[in-house]
Amino acid sequence: MTRFARLYDVVRTTWRLGAIGFGLCVCVAAVGWKVSTLQLAERDFLQGQGDSRAIRTKPIAANRGLIFDRNGEPLAVSTPVVSVSVNPSKLADSPDNIRRLANALDLNPEALVTKIQGQRNDPHLLVKRRLSPAEVAPLQAMRIPHVTFEDEYQRFYPQGEVAAHIVGFSNIDNVGQEGIELTYEEHLQGTPGRRQIIQDRRENIIEEIRTIETASDGGNIDLSIDFRLQNLAYKELKAEFTKRRAKSATLVMLDVETGEVLAMANQPSYNPNNKSNISDFGVLRNRAVTDVFEPGSTVKAFTIAAALESGVFEADTIIETSPGWMMVRGHTIQDIHNYGTLNVGKVITKSSNVGTSKIALEIGPEPIRDVLERVGLGQVTGTGFPGERGGLLPSPRRWSAIETATLSYGYGLSVTALQLAQAYSVIADGGIRKPVSLLKLSDDEVAALPRDRVLSASISAQVKEMLETVVDPRRGGSAREARVPFFKVAGKTGTAHVVGERGYEANLHNSLFAGMIPASDPKIVVVIVINEPKGDEHYGGQVAAPVFSRVASGAMRLLNIPPDDLPVSQSILSSGGDE
Amino acid sequence: MVTMTRAKPLAPTETFVRAPARPLNTVLLATLGLLCIGILMMTSASVEIASSATGDAFYYFKRQAIFACIGLCAGGVTLALPLALWRRFSLLFMLGSFVLLIAVLVPGIGKTVNGSTRWIDLGLFDLQPSEPAKLFIVMFLADFLQRNYVEVRENWREFFIPLIIASAASILLQMEPDHGALVILFATTFCLLFLAGAKILRVLSLVVVAGAGFSWIAYNKAHVIARFTSFMDPWAEENVYGDGYQLAQSLIAFGRGEWFGTGLGQSIQKLYFLPEAHTDFVLAIIGEEFGLLGVAIVIGLFCVLVVRAFAIGRMAERKQSLFAAFFAYGLGLLFAGQTLINVGVNIGLLPTKGLTLPFLSYGGASLIMSCVMAAMLIRIQYETESLAAPAADKPSGLRG
Repeated sequence: MTRFARLYDVVRTTWRLGAIGFGLCVCVAAVGWKVSTLQLAERDFLQGQGDSRAIRTKPIAANRGLIFDRNGEPLAVSTPVVSVSVNPSKLADSPDNIRRLANALDLNPEALVTKIQGQRNDPHLLVKRRLSPAEVAPLQAMRIPHVTFEDEYQRFYPQGEVAAHIVGFSNIDNVGQEGIELTYEEHLQGTPGRRQIIQDRRENIIEEIRTIETASDGGNIDLSIDFRLQNLAYKELKAEFTKRRAKSATLVMLDVETGEVLAMANQPSYNPNNKSNISDFGVLRNRAVTDVFEPGSTVKAFTIAAALESGVFEADTIIETSPGWMMVRGHTIQDIHNYGTLNVGKVITKSSNVGTSKIALEIGPEPIRDVLERVGLGQVTGTGFPGERGGLLPSPRRWSAIETATLSYGYGLSVTALQLAQAYSVIADGGIRKPVSLLKLSDDEVAALPRDRVLSASISAQVKEMLETVVDPRRGGSAREARVPFFKVAGKTGTAHVVGERGYEANLHNSLFAGMIPASDPKIVVVIVINEPKGDEHYGGQVAAPVFSRVASGAMRLLNIPPDDLPVSQSILSSGGDE
Repeated sequence: MVTMTRAKPLAPTETFVRAPARPLNTVLLATLGLLCIGILMMTSASVEIASSATGDAFYYFKRQAIFACIGLCAGGVTLALPLALWRRFSLLFMLGSFVLLIAVLVPGIGKTVNGSTRWIDLGLFDLQPSEPAKLFIVMFLADFLQRNYVEVRENWREFFIPLIIASAASILLQMEPDHGALVILFATTFCLLFLAGAKILRVLSLVVVAGAGFSWIAYNKAHVIARFTSFMDPWAEENVYGDGYQLAQSLIAFGRGEWFGTGLGQSIQKLYFLPEAHTDFVLAIIGEEFGLLGVAIVIGLFCVLVVRAFAIGRMAERKQSLFAAFFAYGLGLLFAGQTLINVGVNIGLLPTKGLTLPFLSYGGASLIMSCVMAAMLIRIQYETESLAAPAADKPSGLRG
């Protein structure tokens, strides 16, 4: 008791307790100062540091513009898809998560582990693209760390191979590669937007903060194509292509009034939705504009037009073609038969090479070349279509007689099927030339079209009448296969030897037909080229003309165009009804 | 009573009414407050990591709730045990905790996490022997100082015995390693010696020696050096994704909180950015979700706890119940040390250590021990209050 009283007194420990209390107070004050500094003074810096780790700017996919035919039928559409990416630098060390991902995506787990671990220095790796939102939903629910999802659009071509060459296609990054998709890439593309998100450290999106910039979708395109006609043309062309075992085939259908392309089909074609098994990239070519050929006898219409323009020849001027062949500077020019004495019109009807050669040698090459140039042959049409070729008109410093003669029946120049169709539309429209268009034209645009008179109305009318005889068996025409019931048809066949390694090949031909219907007031022009048909038949009148007949008669029905060649008895009946 | 003048004398009934005074115990209130905040914030900090790691967002909540129940039961039992019992067996308890400290170092018993062997797997939870060791060493020291309060002032031998005990424990802690517990144990021992009246010069010189010792230990540990440099500048290029990553993320959490926080459950840092958000860094999540206000409330509650511990110790000292006094001081110092170090680490005042925040961090051993310590404090208060006040000039003899 005394011991305590002597040695231990409360007062003596008071200052020691106070010292410790003071020390603790200093600590608490330091904590308070530091916390306030962090939460108030340094918050901008700290939040900036935090945001730089958590806030990310992500793109918003813009929908690529749609492509329609002239009636609103979709030819190229975009569907939303999801792409799955990973961050290999973070995911490489958790192979179990990679296997879960692989199983969810139906991939080989071990292969994916190897692949991701092989790229462990990369921050981004696309694992699988273009999954449907429904497919990817279970994977998103699994919330595997460092797996991210990007919304995209996938291009789909509902009409497949039928319109493949015109529409073209875009690649996996939605960039146009061919056709209209490439031509109008900027218009179709659209501008992606941007949005801000908060993501956790495993790159899962926690919250959408805001949209910085909304995506602006690409513009739509209405093509001049009428899908019903395109489908018909494609079907008939393919049937003939297959039947003739040809190398390739092309069909172009133009609207005479507006210059719009109503159908443009090629063989062989491809499925733009699945290009994986394409081995010959030639199938991608839109041969109607990219391939040039010698137009052969189809040019004779313009040779005759030049003859009539020259004033030296009239429609009934007599030309002697006996004995069915002639010699020009050591070269033989030959007809199929000896047609004897023909007038100018019959030269077209019978397609006499001797006849046109004599005309050409009479009027000289320049007037013919001039007409060919005026109707647009050998020049680019201005559609802007990728890979379009201009072809060539001959322009030697001095024309030899044989060059002059062969030009008159379609050798020595090269044209595309589209140019040939445009040239025939000049005859169909009474001598007026208009630009061709792959886009649908509005009424205003049609009214504002430049209409150049390149042939006189009377000459084009005369040539058209001569072309009618070609298809008329009663007048000895060479292309009776091109007839269309109840309609008058004007057109011209062509058969040209194909140029091989050693000059013209004796047994390889281009079979052509260029025609217009209804001949009394043409609405459409159709050009058909069958390249290198095999078998006994190779003349344009045998191979190409039947396609014209089937396509043109279907087109007349689809376009609701009244017949101009009803049998007499029916005309009497209908006029009788009026009385 | 003597100095007070009253208008009318007290009625007998009024003295009766005053008898069950102070029905609300401040220590109990602060403890329960911290416990509730702790469970709420620990859950908020852990839901995301729990659901991705276990599939159950409330995995940690369920376990922590069970620990809290065990802790409350253990606290209730502790409350019922007289101090004399603890005192009688304090040596035994301390030796028992040394056995645990040694056991954790035996391969096969100790569980190693992140290079530190600090835990013994008990199935339901991991026991961290340093937790009971701190308590029972402090309890023994309180008894020792009470028995040798004269010798501690006069002799070197009694002055050194507490230091030898603390050093022995420190060597074992150093082997785990658990530097946080080591620092707390030494600091508490020094403070108790100081409070017991040891000569200032001796204490100061020992602080210098101990400081040098710690520096030497730290200097020989590459990872301690790395932690220290990253603590000095967590935003440096080489630190921000390396050793300073956790601290940088913790600081960002405070920066996001501002005055009143982003709201419960709105933390971004807990989304895997801040590792150990539900254990050692739960205060950072409080700072983010409830701002400066939330941090102030939590630190305020700890201040209440520590101030009350010192007040109870002071009261016991006045009543010459020295074991109770030193034990209360020791408990207060343990709470203060543990809290200050954890908070200091969270806000970047101290280099990163694996040390829990009492009542708030996830962890069975920490939570249960914190409850038991709070219950002991209440028991000290209860026993001390029931002692008769000694006359100022006639100190009563030592009891027991």
